[in-house]
Amino acid sequence: MIDRRKFLTTVALGTASAAFLSACGQSSSPAQTGSADNPVTITYTWWGNDDRAERTRKAIALFESKNPDIKVNGNFSDFAGYWQKRATEAAGGGLPDVMQWDLSYLRDYGQRNQLLDLGTVKVNTDAFEKSLLPSGQIRGKTYGIPTSTNAFAVYYDPAKLAALGIAEPDGSWNYKEFNAFLTEVGQKGNGTLFGGTDYTGIWWNFNIWLRQNNIQAFTDEGKLGFSKDDLKKWWNLTADLRGTGAIVGEDKATQLLPKSPFGSNVTATEVTWDNFMAGYLADSGAKELKLVPVPSDDPDNLGLFLKPSMLMVASAKTKYKDAAARFIDFMVNDPEVGQIFKTSRGVPASKTQRDGTTFEGTDKLVVDYEKSIEKYLKDAPEPPIVGFGTLESTFKRVTQDLNYGKLTVDGAVDVWFKEAEDLIKQNA
Amino acid sequence: MTTMATPTQNQPTTPTTPAPVYNPKSESVMARRIKSTIFHIVALALVAMVLYPALWMITSSFKPNSEIGGANNALWSNNFSFDNFATAMEGIGGVSTLTFFTNSLILAVGAVVGTVLSASISAYAFARINFPGRGLFFGMMIATLLLPFHVVIIPQYIVFQQLGLVDTYVPLLIGKFLAADAFFVFLMVQFMRGLPAELDEAARIDGAGHVRIFGSIMLPLMKPALISTSIFSFIWSWNDFLGPLLYLNTPEKYPLPLALRLFVDQTQSSDYGAMIAMSVLALLPVLVFFLVFQRYIVEGVSTQGLKG
Repeated sequence: MIDRRKFLTTVALGTASAAFLSACGQSSSPAQTGSADNPVTITYTWWGNDDRAERTRKAIALFESKNPDIKVNGNFSDFAGYWQKRATEAAGGGLPDVMQWDLSYLRDYGQRNQLLDLGTVKVNTDAFEKSLLPSGQIRGKTYGIPTSTNAFAVYYDPAKLAALGIAEPDGSWNYKEFNAFLTEVGQKGNGTLFGGTDYTGIWWNFNIWLRQNNIQAFTDEGKLGFSKDDLKKWWNLTADLRGTGAIVGEDKATQLLPKSPFGSNVTATEVTWDNFMAGYLADSGAKELKLVPVPSDDPDNLGLFLKPSMLMVASAKTKYKDAAARFIDFMVNDPEVGQIFKTSRGVPASKTQRDGTTFEGTDKLVVDYEKSIEKYLKDAPEPPIVGFGTLESTFKRVTQDLNYGKLTVDGAVDVWFKEAEDLIKQNA
Repeated sequence: MTTMATPTQNQPTTPTTPAPVYNPKSESVMARRIKSTIFHIVALALVAMVLYPALWMITSSFKPNSEIGGANNALWSNNFSFDNFATAMEGIGGVSTLTFFTNSLILAVGAVVGTVLSASISAYAFARINFPGRGLFFGMMIATLLLPFHVVIIPQYIVFQQLGLVDTYVPLLIGKFLAADAFFVFLMVQFMRGLPAELDEAARIDGAGHVRIFGSIMLPLMKPALISTSIFSFIWSWNDFLGPLLYLNTPEKYPLPLALRLFVDQTQSSDYGAMIAMSVLALLPVLVFFLVFQRYIVEGVSTQGLKG
């Protein structure tokens, strides 16, 4: 059904876009590099709160003063809105020149050729751990440079343990001992303080457990590398703890949202990424929180790794590849940038930046933790498969149903495997 | 899209007086009083329930961050202070909160002006001019109401991107000036159809053209419809998050809803106190706008009833 109005719109749009395209073609070649008098302008976008906005503003000002031929236009939004906006821009062909990026979206955008291969431009990665860089690479192409790292850890509140008369853990424990510890907190906490949340509900924790047992979570072809039995074993680890004081009930945890049970002072421990420290301190008002390694049945293999807490990427369509590369290089390597961000992005990934930064208080705790587990660290996993975010949240949801008693462990394993296999088939 | 409530939903659901008295003789004054007391107690309890979230928001805006949400969620606190408002007014990333307010105001006022002008003119054409294909175009306009917003996001973005209009207010406002809000056009068409046609016939006999009839006869009579259109387009524009998120890039151009989200970041620390304080501040203009204009709505509804 083509009416006059629609026809006219189509013609008008066609003309407009043709005019636009030809205009681009003409102007793009002379504007590739700028000079101090006539700087090029690149856009940089990130997610985060007002604190990160303030720090980034300082870093951009520093970059501009050192590179008078480049101007950086910064803009930001919250995490959820950030990805809606990127999806629209990618479809419309207008991604910003340089972007802060999250590991779970890297393969998705990288495979669709939306991101610039940073191997083709000059970004210095000499100061990076060699084990870390593959996490920004897909099929030999470098799409992202990690700004900073985080690692998995068990948080605990020493004041709460002292009040119950429980000794502080030193982090050398197996799963049985960890469960016993959670149970002891639950018993002495007597309904007001729980041991922790159900740690089997977190995908990354499962991933670490698989690594401890020398199993790869995803094969190189992007298929599942573990069996239903492995997942059954994992979810059975806390089978006796569910519904007791060792694990806070799912209904209670939901009431506490948007805060976590640990941030609300309802549990004594939490197993998660070490860069959540600042958030937990602010939410709970606790004086001090400590970090110890995750449990492992093999004391020589903790399965731990450094994961890029965020990466820097550039748009494949950027007109200013050189300027974008210089900005990325500055943001990941410059020691003064490290001083500005401290550990608010995670522990700086580049050694030059890490050494140039002085860490105090909370920042020091996180840096020291990552130093203490250094000897256990292995290669970071490859960028997760497309649709990984869905798998991760299904994992969480299925465990919640386990805790509500809606599913048995066997049923939960079937539900998750079905969804995972469907998703992998879809994206194959 | 929860704000998509139509004005008609606000009308007649207010509790009516107690059940009609069938046999007044058998009921003493005392019994009637008891009934009325019970009615008022129930009504007050319902009001308290409805207003509780608002009350919680207001008290929370004065509470320290650690006492908002989580296990410690009482309405009252012993640590009330204005700190949250101070943080909220500091602005974000070098952009002052006042800028966000100004931007929101520009967008909302622009939306009101655009919608009222364009929707009323289009409605006049649909209701009063018998042009060829009127039925078809009217149908098409109604059909756009059925089109989910999300279907058009990407095509629309591509158009504005290629026209170089991203990061301006044009994509957010142009639709309002071109009567793209079918809901308001429809509202006004229905209202105009209710106005007696004899009025414009009389004006035409006196020599008035369409412009004159529209300006001097229709507009003044349509005041209630114009007012409700203004209120709703103001509130919708004030609350719009997705539009500004997609089309605006420079923080200096952000309206309030974008700024509000920046206080809560699950990947770092969240300042719920400042966010709630800013929500309270952001609510004030809408509240004032509504209070100023709501008597016109009531007036409009009652006059509409007389004519119906």
